[in-house]
Amino acid sequence: MTVLGETALWIALPIALWGTAVSFAGGRTGRSELVLSGERTAYAVTFLLLLASLGIVAAFVGNRYEYWYVANYSNRELDTYFKVAGLWAGQRGSLVFWTLLLSAFTSIAVFQNRARNREFMPYVSGTLLAILSFLLVVLLFAGVDPFERLGFTPANGRGLNPQLQNYWMTIHPPTLYLGFTAFAVPFAFAVSALLTNRLDSRWIAVTRRWILTSWFFLTIGIVFGMRWAYEELGWGGYWFWDPVENASLLPWLTATAFLHSIQIQQNRGMLKVWNMGLVAATFLLTIFATFLTRSGLIESVHSFAENLKIAYIFLGFMGTTAAFCVVLVVHRLPSLCSENQIQSFLSRESAFLFNNLLLVGIAFAVIWGTLFPLITEGLLGQKINVGPPFYNRVNLPIGLTLLALMGIGPVIAWRRASRRNLRKNFALPCSVAATTFIAFWWTGVRHGMALATFVLASFVMTTVVVEFWKGTRARARIAGEGWFAALRGLVRRNQRRWGGYVVHAGVVILFTGLAGSAFDVAQVHEMLPGESATIRSAFGHEYALTYESLSHSRPRADENVGANDWRWTALLTVRRNGEQVAAMRPERRFYPVMDEASTEVGIRSTLLEDLYVIPRDVDLESGTERATFEFKVLPLVPWIWFGGLIVAVGTLVGLWPPARAQSAAGTVPGRRPVAPRPATSEAATSEAAGRAA
Amino acid sequence: MALFGGVLLAAGIVLYVLEPVLSGRSAPLYRGGDEHDEAAARRRVALAALRDLEYDRVTGKVDGEDYERLRTELSREALVQLEPEAVADDPAGAGASRALEDEIALIRRALQEGLQCAGCHRLNAFGAKYCGGCGRRLRTDRAADSEGKARR
Repeated sequence: MTVLGETALWIALPIALWGTAVSFAGGRTGRSELVLSGERTAYAVTFLLLLASLGIVAAFVGNRYEYWYVANYSNRELDTYFKVAGLWAGQRGSLVFWTLLLSAFTSIAVFQNRARNREFMPYVSGTLLAILSFLLVVLLFAGVDPFERLGFTPANGRGLNPQLQNYWMTIHPPTLYLGFTAFAVPFAFAVSALLTNRLDSRWIAVTRRWILTSWFFLTIGIVFGMRWAYEELGWGGYWFWDPVENASLLPWLTATAFLHSIQIQQNRGMLKVWNMGLVAATFLLTIFATFLTRSGLIESVHSFAENLKIAYIFLGFMGTTAAFCVVLVVHRLPSLCSENQIQSFLSRESAFLFNNLLLVGIAFAVIWGTLFPLITEGLLGQKINVGPPFYNRVNLPIGLTLLALMGIGPVIAWRRASRRNLRKNFALPCSVAATTFIAFWWTGVRHGMALATFVLASFVMTTVVVEFWKGTRARARIAGEGWFAALRGLVRRNQRRWGGYVVHAGVVILFTGLAGSAFDVAQVHEMLPGESATIRSAFGHEYALTYESLSHSRPRADENVGANDWRWTALLTVRRNGEQVAAMRPERRFYPVMDEASTEVGIRSTLLEDLYVIPRDVDLESGTERATFEFKVLPLVPWIWFGGLIVAVGTLVGLWPPARAQSAAGTVPGRRPVAPRPATSEAATSEAAGRAA
Repeated sequence: MALFGGVLLAAGIVLYVLEPVLSGRSAPLYRGGDEHDEAAARRRVALAALRDLEYDRVTGKVDGEDYERLRTELSREALVQLEPEAVADDPAGAGASRALEDEIALIRRALQEGLQCAGCHRLNAFGAKYCGGCGRRLRTDRAADSEGKARR
């Protein structure tokens, strides 16, 4: 299987190059047999890359240590599911996996559009196959061949990084890669629109679901990564502004801006050049993320530093793609003129534009901070890293302004809103925000950023709830539906709008959870078995933790397969306000193959806060089993994960296939309906207004 | 064996990819009847904006001058998009547009018959002159009604 996979990778490159050439040639000359051949190439490359990926997985599962990649990222004792995940554990396999996902999305796009959007398709498949060809060239000729042989067969592999030996390893990277690679499809449609000079809103309408799909995977991928960091890195945080974390955030920021700005183009025919810029920037940032994660150019907890040569190849590709996009946009500028202009500062377009500027502003700040070590190395000869204080100082105020705009945007009218209208619609949300401020101030909250977050969160959440309340009430009252049916009908009527509101609600909850970090409490205790320590949370709960005992796992007696890790597990009992509520088992693990140790924290979650126990050190030599623990109480952390879940649900609402179009008067769609005269005018009112809601 | 498998795989793939070129099999290069059409898209956007405006009025989000001004602007734009030749060019999109158009007409007629109070947004029974909720005199907009009928 492995040899077949290796062969498949070599066959894939000339096939992809052929597909690129015939797709563009077919589009240019109108020779449809060339176009069809190009489209078949997409399916063929997907099949070949699937074989290549299976070949790598087979090599991992079969302990084929004659392959450099397997020998460096696995060992005999590793659990099988980590061996399967070895496909994306290192630079080489990750590139293959990335290429596989991109080819799969290419095939889906080609299949979806086999009978529609045909003018676009030669250039769409050509663009996507060109990207695939580039990745295959990198894989085969840049010294990152996943099937490279060592020339000898080691008895065992060097093992997988202990921090990667976590169940999130099987979930987080694939999710994020799905988000990155899916965005190549909207980019390809944008390039196709530019090449064919069909620059109306069609390419946006065609790719809206792709953009949402990519955004969905990016969002949950980022949240999964935060959860992984929270569980595995053992410092009680979930975001460290690590370069690779930043790399995943960057395309998310520009994709979010794009999701908002395409509404302005669709509704008002504005921001066409801006949208082209955003789609190209987002695609380039997904490549930047690949480049940063896989090149090892910048040090990171995700370091895959193996081969710096591909860093320069990726830089070249990004530069070429950016230049190509700029030339195309400049060439098509006359077709990209705005049809309207913003009429008033007080309008939804204006709010969306500010939202875009802020999101792009954060993206610039994050890029600057991420590349700062490289810039200083180039200019001063030494790397200077900027840490979380830089990012927090710059991004927190912008993030809070964005939060405020999330409340303003949906309520304010398109085109122009009068001050009287604003007063009317914002009276309740502002009152709730003011009440929140007074309540929190009264209870002693003085942390400026946290207070601002809570106040703005209450403001935004009120606008979302009021929108749902008004819509549901109107529909229930007028159409005579029950509350649930009215809510369901309301959402089905305009899933994009209401799904968006659900996403906003999720973001508000997530922001509130993030603000909870202002009230973290931490203590370090050196303890002997039987001793206790207490810690009081920001919510006033008193936790008493008793160190009961220490146990350790023994290596298995099997001669061929030893233990992958040795574990020292502490048992702590937890009392909250005097009542025993839990037993926690934090661990220290030692990985003999890697000769490295890791920390497995203990976490006890409630709706309001997490109790987080980090086993810092265990004294095994004195025989006393003395251990050092760090206890933390982290308020509102569960809200982050819950907020992420709500965001995902909202995105799925937007992605859900729309209800089948029905004519207003209940006739067959497409045929001119004859509006029946309702029995009474009241019935007409109910019917019509119910539909509107 | 591995070499044989590799050659077989390569041959199969090459044959699959080249078959359209060798046999002259083709794929359509031009749009079919279900295509997105810019005129139809604009029509739908214009009508959906009108529908949303009526919805915003029903829920009390927009009223008074704002409503009148926005309705005038949106109606003007929708009328441009509803020129007969534009509709004739796109029979598939026209169906969806008509659905929206009829929906808007129904909403507007209901509102114009004065059943919803401009003050408290209560829906009143047909024939009522005063709002049953706040006592305010109900307003009827016959001029706008005529405009809607003329368009239909």
